[in-house]
Amino acid sequence: MAAHAHTVKRYPGFLGWLWDWLTTVDHKKIGILYLVAGGFFFVIGGIEALFIRLQLIRPLNNFVSEDTFNELITMHGTTMIFLAAMPIIFALMNAIVPLQIGARDVAFPFVNALGFWTFFFGGLLLNIAWLTGEVPDAGWTSYPPLATTAYSSHHGMDYYVLGLQISGIGTLLGGINFMATIINMRAPGMTFMRMPMFTWTSFITSALIVLAFPALTVGLVAMMFDRIFGANFFNVDAGGNIILWEHIFWLFGHPEVYILILPAFGVISEVISTFSRKRLFGYSTMVFATILIAFLGFMVWAHHMFTTGLGPVANALFSIATMAIAVPTGIKVFNWLFTMWGGSIRFTAANLFAIGFIPTFVMGGVTGVMLASAPADFQYHDSYFVVGHFHYTIVGGLVTGLLAGIHYWWPKMFGRMLHEGLGKLTFWFYMIGFHLTFFVQHFLGLLGMPRRVATFLPNQGLDTMNMVSTIGALLMAVGISFFFINIVITSLKPRHATNDPWEDGRTLEWAIPSPAPEYNFKQIPLVRGLDAWWKEKLEGNKEMPPAEPLGPIHMPSPSILPFIMGVGLFISGFGFMYNLVFAVIGIAITLLCMALRSIFDDHGYHIEPDEPKKGEVAA
Amino acid sequence: MTENHSATGPQTQRHRVEGPQKHIVVFILSMVLTIIAFAAVAAGKVNKLFVIFLLLGMAIVQAFAQMAFWMHMKDRGHLFPIITIVGGVFVVIMLVALALLWTWW
Amino acid sequence: MSAHDHHAGALPPEPEKATLEGRNKILGFWLFLGAETVLFGTLFSAYLAFRNSVLDGPRPEELFQLPMTFIMTVALLVSSLTSVFAVQAMHRHKTGPMLGWLAVTIALGALFLGMEIYEFNEYVHEGHRFTTSAFSSAFYSLVGFHGAHVAFGILWIGLVILQILKKGLTVVTAPKVYVSAIYWHFIDVVWVFIFTVVYLMGKV
Repeated sequence: MAAHAHTVKRYPGFLGWLWDWLTTVDHKKIGILYLVAGGFFFVIGGIEALFIRLQLIRPLNNFVSEDTFNELITMHGTTMIFLAAMPIIFALMNAIVPLQIGARDVAFPFVNALGFWTFFFGGLLLNIAWLTGEVPDAGWTSYPPLATTAYSSHHGMDYYVLGLQISGIGTLLGGINFMATIINMRAPGMTFMRMPMFTWTSFITSALIVLAFPALTVGLVAMMFDRIFGANFFNVDAGGNIILWEHIFWLFGHPEVYILILPAFGVISEVISTFSRKRLFGYSTMVFATILIAFLGFMVWAHHMFTTGLGPVANALFSIATMAIAVPTGIKVFNWLFTMWGGSIRFTAANLFAIGFIPTFVMGGVTGVMLASAPADFQYHDSYFVVGHFHYTIVGGLVTGLLAGIHYWWPKMFGRMLHEGLGKLTFWFYMIGFHLTFFVQHFLGLLGMPRRVATFLPNQGLDTMNMVSTIGALLMAVGISFFFINIVITSLKPRHATNDPWEDGRTLEWAIPSPAPEYNFKQIPLVRGLDAWWKEKLEGNKEMPPAEPLGPIHMPSPSILPFIMGVGLFISGFGFMYNLVFAVIGIAITLLCMALRSIFDDHGYHIEPDEPKKGEVAA
Repeated sequence: MTENHSATGPQTQRHRVEGPQKHIVVFILSMVLTIIAFAAVAAGKVNKLFVIFLLLGMAIVQAFAQMAFWMHMKDRGHLFPIITIVGGVFVVIMLVALALLWTWW
Repeated sequence: MSAHDHHAGALPPEPEKATLEGRNKILGFWLFLGAETVLFGTLFSAYLAFRNSVLDGPRPEELFQLPMTFIMTVALLVSSLTSVFAVQAMHRHKTGPMLGWLAVTIALGALFLGMEIYEFNEYVHEGHRFTTSAFSSAFYSLVGFHGAHVAFGILWIGLVILQILKKGLTVVTAPKVYVSAIYWHFIDVVWVFIFTVVYLMGKV
């Protein structure tokens, strides 16, 4: 079939710039979109957290009402996990994985864009609830019967169900995309065991997404059918069962937390080895441990349900399986330490976050082993001890890891280095604030303070620690503010980053200019070993050896259809809540766009290799 | 037949296009298993537990045959499809085991 | 890297795998089927959990009619075979027979769907509605989801037929035929479990 590629129309001015971003299918731009959107939702979730802590700064406070408090905790959890953490993970995966495997884009660039826009519109739908006054308030876990229409008759939980459903579609598409990319599009010479650790963890994470998200999809569908169409999945009077929701939700929910943390593990492996000028200790074991964690992650979900009456046998089995996960995780921790041992360590801001991650995540992990003991969990369950545990792992672990990754890869994404001094300020305020906020929460839990309570009585030993926790939260906010100031200041500087600005880059992304050119690699590189770029540098080469001759580069065309499909789903979300006609219209728009995409094949366009700027050459 | 092309994956010079025989065999097998299944239930007087195991066994065999032959899972280049489906089945087994154990009264 | 220059009119032996895009689409679709396995599996689990929660509604033994279920099963099974024949015709580069087999496939699929709609209509008249009980909600969700997948498949394969008529069989359109056939086989495999677990075990 002749390649009748066409020029890409580029419009001038602000509208042209906007159109470029709305229609992009370039993984690098999509990574930036995820970063910006995730950052935006992170700020919203952070403000919700501050309001929670301000309400709890002292006993019998009335900063917010009880109903508002329930809305705050629900939205904080849902927004942070689904709309901040996961998108920023996808931002790094999008920006870096194709570069690390020597590919020009992901396997399905159009679907990549679609994944972003569905995530975005799902998140928008969920947060618009704040503007309507009907906000989800049954916790991010949405247990029935509280979440059913019997006890939540306003539209709040519908926003939750529909917003998450739409967002979840985007995540699933992303998972499929990255798996296919990593399987099929590695550069010649890059076997699986020569992939960088971040790519490995992205691969395993994507596999977890593909296998875990459909369970959530069904759970949300069942909840939606119950709430909107009168089904009886969770209606006990009609033979339904509320524990079914818990099983389905946690079958998704437990792999979900591994989806959250494995990419952070990947980042830590990259950052620590780069800034120790030493290869990762025990690479094969790290790969194997990651796979084992993912596999075991599917067998432990009922440790969220020890108190629901499953019985001692079930509790014992899930208890043991949960504790077993600590073993491969511990292997990883030791391997990071052994990587640093004997290395030539540079304490850049990125590395500070990575090093700070290790003890913090270990603390979260050991409280996890405490929680894994079913009899002990009868005391810890639904207390602040649990809150302390999961914030240590998710915030102290995942978010810290993401901050490390963002500081590390910022030059590759934007062509500029973030300011080191501000980065270090961010680190110290954020880390100290973090520990102040959440360490005391373990003791609050042990003293009996339940979670999700809007206030507490004075003189029970809870007052001081709650205040300390709130002060810590404010310090974290200061730290994050420094981070945003850093971003603003950096963006005003010129784009001077070299291709390998840290000078110790080990992996393929550091072999190309910063930011990466539109086509990534002028010639697909030939990979001759693990840490491929480091290997070439050790032999005195300034470039990767090519695996193909110079020639015109075929790129996928941009498209507005993903954006329109997102809008269609957004409309249908409202339709399901308020007027079913719009539900049909919204879905019809989406299906029509799918049909159009199938009918009008994309022939792409070509870039000539001697045109380093945005290529516009017709074949 | 046609010229051999580079960058299209491993192909022999003389490409043998497979005939329909194996697929028709799978079809007949599926029909036979289906008929046995329906007959076993329609007969009505057979031991309930035996019938359930029989039905499940035949469903699994039929599913296997269709996936291996009609969906080409037995052919080369299908490692990741196998891994993915096995992964999905693994999750399903746990869910189904849960649903049955939990309601086994 | 234009991988499309070949002798004019000569299609490669397995045209769906001849391009990277084609191979990506096939792999990506298998990954999607892994997700669909978990999706249907979760619906099955909910159904199994509620198989006895019929409340005042009719019980499975009273509802399900084996003869009609058998005919529906045969229809879908034959349609899966005809889609195999379609792909084989594609490998022989015989576009005409390929389109013929695809048309038979969706005709049988439409027959299946028509019978299922009739079946659901009967059930509603017998007092087995979506909102009747946990059992009924789970039944209609599981079997209905499958039916929706059949409906989508009919539309999809129909669209593929139209595209081949317009653009001919090429290395770009071949993956579409292959992937839609894999999808069709998958929903037949799911049906094997539905008729076994829902209908047959419901009558035991």
